[in-house]
Amino acid sequence: MLTLSNVSKSFPGVKALSGMQLDVRAGEIHALVGENGAGKSTLTKIIAGVYQPDEGQIEFDGEIAHWATPGAAKAAGIHVIYQEFVLFPHMTVAENIFIGHERRGAFGLVDHRQTRKDAVELLHRLGVDIDPDRRVVELSVADQQMVEIAKAMVHKVKLLILDEPTAVISGKEVELLFQRLQALRADGVGIIYISHRLEEIFEICDRVTVLKDGQFVASHPTAEVDRDRLVSLMVGRDMQELFPPKADPATIGAVVLEARGVVAAGRVRGASISLRAGEVTALAGMVGSGRTELALAIFGGLEMTEGEVVIGGQTFRKMTPAKAIAQGIGLLTEDRKGQGLAMLLDVASNITAADLDAVSRWGLVDRRQEDAIARAEITAYQIACRGPQNPVVTMSGGNQQKVLVSRWARTCRKVLILDEPTRGVDVGAKAEIYRIMREMAAKGIAVLMISSELPEVIGMADRVVVMREGMIGGELSGDQISEERIMQVATQKIAA
Amino acid sequence: MSHAVEPNLSGMASGAEATRAWLQRYALHLSLLVMIVLSAAISPSFLSGGNVSNMLLQAAPLGMVVIGQVFVILVRGLDLSVASVMATAAVVATSFSGQDGDAPVIFALALAIGLGTGLVNGLLVAKRNVSPFLATLATMIVLQGMRSAWTQGAPSGNVPPVFRILGSGAIYGVPYNLIITAVLAVIFSVLLAKSTFGRKVYITGGNPVTARLLGIPADGVTILCYVISGVLAALAGLILSGFVGIVDNWVGRGFEIDSIVAAVMGGVALSGGRGTIAGGLVGAAILIVVFNAVLQLGLPIQMQIIIKGVVIVIAAAFYMRRKAG
Amino acid sequence: MTVIRTRAQSEFLRRNGSQIIVVGLLVVLAIVGVLVSDRFASVNNIMNILEQSVTLAIVSLGQTLTVLTGGIDLSVGSLISLASVLLSGITNGDPAMVFPAIMIVLALGICVGLLNAAAVIWLKVHPLIVTLGMGAALQGVTLLYTMGPAGKMPLGFDVLAYGRFLGLPVGAVITVALFLGTAFFLRYARFGRYVYAIGDDAVGAQLMGLPRAKVLLFVYAFSGFMAALTAIFLVSRFGVGQPYTGANFTLTSITPVVVGGTLLAGGRGGVIGTLLGVYLVSLLNNVLNYMDISSHYQLIVQGLIVIIAVSVYVEKKRKL
Repeated sequence: MLTLSNVSKSFPGVKALSGMQLDVRAGEIHALVGENGAGKSTLTKIIAGVYQPDEGQIEFDGEIAHWATPGAAKAAGIHVIYQEFVLFPHMTVAENIFIGHERRGAFGLVDHRQTRKDAVELLHRLGVDIDPDRRVVELSVADQQMVEIAKAMVHKVKLLILDEPTAVISGKEVELLFQRLQALRADGVGIIYISHRLEEIFEICDRVTVLKDGQFVASHPTAEVDRDRLVSLMVGRDMQELFPPKADPATIGAVVLEARGVVAAGRVRGASISLRAGEVTALAGMVGSGRTELALAIFGGLEMTEGEVVIGGQTFRKMTPAKAIAQGIGLLTEDRKGQGLAMLLDVASNITAADLDAVSRWGLVDRRQEDAIARAEITAYQIACRGPQNPVVTMSGGNQQKVLVSRWARTCRKVLILDEPTRGVDVGAKAEIYRIMREMAAKGIAVLMISSELPEVIGMADRVVVMREGMIGGELSGDQISEERIMQVATQKIAA
Repeated sequence: MSHAVEPNLSGMASGAEATRAWLQRYALHLSLLVMIVLSAAISPSFLSGGNVSNMLLQAAPLGMVVIGQVFVILVRGLDLSVASVMATAAVVATSFSGQDGDAPVIFALALAIGLGTGLVNGLLVAKRNVSPFLATLATMIVLQGMRSAWTQGAPSGNVPPVFRILGSGAIYGVPYNLIITAVLAVIFSVLLAKSTFGRKVYITGGNPVTARLLGIPADGVTILCYVISGVLAALAGLILSGFVGIVDNWVGRGFEIDSIVAAVMGGVALSGGRGTIAGGLVGAAILIVVFNAVLQLGLPIQMQIIIKGVVIVIAAAFYMRRKAG
Repeated sequence: MTVIRTRAQSEFLRRNGSQIIVVGLLVVLAIVGVLVSDRFASVNNIMNILEQSVTLAIVSLGQTLTVLTGGIDLSVGSLISLASVLLSGITNGDPAMVFPAIMIVLALGICVGLLNAAAVIWLKVHPLIVTLGMGAALQGVTLLYTMGPAGKMPLGFDVLAYGRFLGLPVGAVITVALFLGTAFFLRYARFGRYVYAIGDDAVGAQLMGLPRAKVLLFVYAFSGFMAALTAIFLVSRFGVGQPYTGANFTLTSITPVVVGGTLLAGGRGGVIGTLLGVYLVSLLNNVLNYMDISSHYQLIVQGLIVIIAVSVYVEKKRKL
């Protein structure tokens, strides 16, 4: 029902998709897999009419389609559940479910009672118990996800696209979701299912298409491939080649940072973690388990309501980024654009942003010294750019990430925290970032990596700390580190 | 995606592209030049000494306010209170005996008003998270009320002579007020472009979350920007009071809009983090030239306002397009 | 989108709280008024307050909708000025011209609004800049048309400003009807819901295929229309249109909107809050008059009200 042939799309500085092909049949669940940055979300947005392809052709329901707007794609019967939900936070659940398809009564007026009734029924069919009168802003993330799914069921969908739908839900909710998807499949709806969790793909999908670096790699019935084959298709080479050797246990030093009983942002509920010099520790767990918030709290980016951070012989109950930086902690945030880079500034300014004082005298920035530093870093990290004055906004994701890595590598003397450091980064930059992490560790720095990519966790970590519902669920090291063990710890319910 | 190990030179512009990039970069300066040439061609008196000196006299107070406005806009703000601060400073200037001996007191009082207003604006915006538009609107109204309460609606009194000289005098044809503005422009340009504070302004405006995570006191930086704007507006008010000589409650009327228009025309992005003082000043120069050309060309004076309205939308659209392209 | 997770839970209480606060303040002011002067509670004075609040109410009604979409309309003041001089200029004392002049003026308001919206949508310029520019241009046009009072209205046109309907001021009745109608529209028309949706999450609205362009065209045209209507009432009151008659409305029209609990960021609030805000401002001025407080101080009070209102209703700060 949906066929894409030779679809390409470029953005300034990046070729996001080239020569992409995809075909999805009515009544199948079609998995789309690829590493972060492989082009899955661009592809999704092209199908949804958000972007228009530069080249290539889309055929939907036997006709050539040109969707100029998301509205046009919706009208054609395409519904997307984005990873970042499209919900109106201050409207009610019922209103959100029926937005664009309001239940109407006399004179075409919105019938709020009917809307509410239908919403109750829909939510009931989904098997969830959500008050339709609550504002979406007040719901948990899992409930918001359910509202998104309810929304999809309102529309006469022919093609449903789900982008990482299970990233924020677990257990029973996943079961419910799968039941709904199977019912939709039986009704002849075509479903594109994007997920990182390969086991889900084998569980529910009929076929799988692999993307890498914006290009089509392969398409197979799920029955005909196995897990390892899928991973190597996604990565493009044997995963093991990417990772530098792990640390010799003998080189791992003393604890340099200890966080005790941290409570923050309602997401971290008493987590303790200690980091050792020379060790790469991975913080694993599901999205929403509080990993990012724990890192932010340690760095002072989120207020710690309880708990303390011990570093350099000092105990901090109130941490701030300024203190953290002074103590030699670096934090590479998950959201490169939103929380990391000053996008409009150039490479040099971004590299020195965390230690401006080092390149300034009497309050004035020594631009020459700054340039020299930037040039050295550009060479050292092989950052592709036009020079220190290149605004970072025009650079590719991988190179932007290297700018951030270089920023923190310069300032962190004790602890480097990296939150999803390889998200949206190509394989070359990935290997580079792994190498840098190892180098930092070898210099005696404690490295903490937050990652959702299990192969990466397994390939890099000397020790894995698994978070679950805002607490530390368990710790694995050495031979204990395996995908199964990590998932097991991450998803098991905490005993009451 | 690029795997380049060598610095990527593919982004380097070819000849034609370079020309286009250059044109885009200097579109503002070129349009100023074109406007001057056109005006001069049509009206010979445009470039006469008297007219040029008149334009420079007018440009000085506006330029001063624009400098402050640029700081505020860079941190994603907007300062509507500048005109009210100017008028209040001017009212203060006439509230004494009208002798030079009062100048220091007047000076100190005016600066205190500018500083206080900027502080309140900044605190409301940074600490209370009030939208800059509303915060500065409110202080504007309050100042207006305080001013007319103080003067009982009818200001009287004289501006001390020294302000008259600073506001309307000239040396070798260069107005004093322009010299003051030029000096301030250089000082604040250095502050913005070269100092760590300036860098923090750009980072805070470009991305406040990033700024906070870098340990930059984003709130403090924001507040300081509003204070700079308030203080410069107070100075401009004193200078302007010396220029017009008599003071009513509305000295500086329209300066809030004009300074925002100049900054936007000069490429300072309302979304923050992008723009320079030089750009804002060129914007101000264009505004003054346009206003003057309207008169020189014998067009009705009302055309000044109409053109201003049209120009700001076009300028904003131009920068939007450039950002998208 | 994802920010919702960190937003405050108390939002709901806070939202309705704003109207409760305003009603409470109205009551307090009324009590102060009664204590200050025995003429305060007279029918005459109440009628007076109702009559005087009409123009502010109508222009603020239009403003509320633009603010709900996350925009603003700074062209209303100049539009009111232009519409008022055109109305009395075109009519020029001829009763036969009153109706055509009103039609022309209302059409002008709609056209100006459509132009504003067009620039916001297709030039992608921020509404603040668009309407600021439009305001300047309109003021210039107004002054080109006339530098002083223009024309005059025939006798009897003051019925809008001073007439009575069932013993109530005509203008006040129309005002309340307009507010109720708009409140009904916002609640029960699809378009009304989209006004909120667009203000709540503009990107989301686009992804959901909501008709953003149509909604914005409507909202700014509505605001323009209301500004023109305001001009009609002003001319009715003064008997003639003047070129600066609307100047103050640009900013004062925003006060009742924010005092009534509508957030400048859009998506939350409503017109009933605005009406309460209008009455709060009018009642305050009235009471201050009875207290013999000069109009100079009234300005200070008004500014302080804005400061207090906006600091009370601020959005929860997004610390990361």
